[in-house]
Amino acid sequence: MRVLLVEDEKHLREQITQQLKQHNLTVDAVADGDEGLFMGSEYPYDVAIIDLGLPKLSGIELIQSLRKQGFDYPILILTARSRWQDKVEGLESGADDYLVKPFHFEELIARINALSRRASGWSNPTLSCGPITLNPATQEVTKHDELVELTAYEYRLLHYLLLHAGEVISKTELTDHIYEQDQDRDSNVIEVFVKRLRSKLDPDKQLNPIETLRGRGYRLNLPRESH
Amino acid sequence: MVVVTGLTCPVKVINFSLSNRVLVAVSLVLTAFLGLSAISLNNAFKSSAELEQKKRLKNYVYTLLTAAEINDKGELKMTHDLAEPKFSIPNSGLYAQITSSGKIVWQSPSAIGHFLSLPFQPGPSNEHYTVVDVDGGMKLQNLAFGIVWETETGKELDYTINVAEDMSTIKETTASFQRSLWYWLGGTGLMLLLAQWLILKWSLRPLHDVAKDLHAIETGEHHRLNDEYPRELKQLTNNINALLDHEQSRRQRYKNSLADLAHSLKTPLSVFRGELANNHDLQSLKSMGYEQLDRISTLVDYQLQRASTEGKSSLLAPVSLGEIIHKIIGSLDKVYKNKAIRHQCEIERDAYIHADEGDMYELLGNLLENAYKYCKHQVHVIATSSGNMVKIRVEDDGAGIPTRAESYIIKRGHRIDTQAEGQGIGLAIVSDIIMAYEGNIHLERGRLGGASFIVELPRI
Repeated sequence: MRVLLVEDEKHLREQITQQLKQHNLTVDAVADGDEGLFMGSEYPYDVAIIDLGLPKLSGIELIQSLRKQGFDYPILILTARSRWQDKVEGLESGADDYLVKPFHFEELIARINALSRRASGWSNPTLSCGPITLNPATQEVTKHDELVELTAYEYRLLHYLLLHAGEVISKTELTDHIYEQDQDRDSNVIEVFVKRLRSKLDPDKQLNPIETLRGRGYRLNLPRESH
Repeated sequence: MVVVTGLTCPVKVINFSLSNRVLVAVSLVLTAFLGLSAISLNNAFKSSAELEQKKRLKNYVYTLLTAAEINDKGELKMTHDLAEPKFSIPNSGLYAQITSSGKIVWQSPSAIGHFLSLPFQPGPSNEHYTVVDVDGGMKLQNLAFGIVWETETGKELDYTINVAEDMSTIKETTASFQRSLWYWLGGTGLMLLLAQWLILKWSLRPLHDVAKDLHAIETGEHHRLNDEYPRELKQLTNNINALLDHEQSRRQRYKNSLADLAHSLKTPLSVFRGELANNHDLQSLKSMGYEQLDRISTLVDYQLQRASTEGKSSLLAPVSLGEIIHKIIGSLDKVYKNKAIRHQCEIERDAYIHADEGDMYELLGNLLENAYKYCKHQVHVIATSSGNMVKIRVEDDGAGIPTRAESYIIKRGHRIDTQAEGQGIGLAIVSDIIMAYEGNIHLERGRLGGASFIVELPRI
């Protein structure tokens, strides 16, 4: 899952980036509104975290321009202003949630996960398809309640596939959502990751959780569980 | 002086004081009025003097006629002494002459030495007024009067009587009238201006008093303007007083919040300091640190909120509660989308209140967020107004009063730092704002089964 972070305060930006990466999220962090607008309209994000007091282009203006251009990914506002009038203004400009500084990182992660789940039609805090369950808060993946050990990229890949369970997802889309902007991308690596995921999730080849659609991409083929 | 910059060149506008404006305007009007009166009075006097002179001339004619007689030879003779002595005194300025068929028949003694060529023969019973110039630059107002005298023998004799008066006499009277006219009018004008100036000073005195009063407030001599001002100024001074009171209560609130903040920050700080000195377990030190940081952050939020509360003031424009409630509900619906909450709003159209918009956002935002947070699926908002009060009721279907009352008992003057740790500050802020607006809040069991907060606020 790829997250855009627009925050002008260097330390906070670095801290948030680090925390998000620890939670296996793909993060692009920028320092001002103009860059935010460029990145936000250039790359396919799953969630954007936007500080309201930004240089060049204010947070409110940035959100308004993104929404005007038709980008509908969830946006979380970070703000030092806790007055309701400011919150309402931020939410009316097109954001989906707000978090007042100072905040707990756990709270931030929980809000981001909730926003991304909500955007892809999930209502529970854990993502379950068939026997496979992924808990974004703990970053644990289980199959029939047994822990499955995954590498960071395998986890990212599965997270994205689960979020969009039932949809066909191209290799490019997968690359876009699990790699940061400045990382080397090699779409062939995706094939390797998928292969490894299959062998870890379905060692005896009975479940076939990830279907390959030749020339189009992949699809997670297990029914979404809601409990 | 105010300088207004125009499009092409700067235009200077002199900023007259009120009394100067009135004085200038009144002086102009007064001067114009007095000047016009002087001109018309002068004209009236002049024409009446001329009319008077004409009448006089005619009377002289009759006097002459009374004194004249025709003797046996058919010649005209003046028998009696003329009643007007001026006819007898040479150069008296009043002259008379009687002519018949172009020949002078009689001349008044005053006219001796003057050659009065008065060739007017208007014909019988006709009068003819003219101004004639005679030698020596004299100007005379002349009346030529034609008569026909019938003698006893039945013979008709034509005569023309000319009576002329020196015009310089009338000029002198007019001039002396003009002089006194100007003295009187000028005097009256000056008196009026002086009176005007005094009246102005007297009527504008309250304005000077207000200025002095305000200055006394600036220097800290008093806190408010006094109440004894004329009706016209009362609205203004009352508003200034309201503003001053509002400022004062706000300043007091700032001071209190600052003092409370400093005071309440000391507890978590000293707890943390103590832990740093005595606790050697990094893990528990960390969690203690987080806990105290949270507490500090909450205190800062709360006191900031308290300090920024505007509070009651009659000078604030009315804000619509319905509009604010709808905006907040729109925002909360977004944030609590997962909960799929059904909300119902019943808001009277005239549910408005003279209050700071930010305060109302804060009050309603915290109340509604509380309801959204604790409800199961339903939130109900009702805003009604009756008389000078607006009533807002926020109900939810969450856990009822017993479970929530403990943490949300709202008391006057209840301070956040005296509350147990870990509580939200939302309702404490609500209670503070209600206090600042002199309203009240209470909690009861609602029709939806959960809590029902009832807030009552005065409109002004």
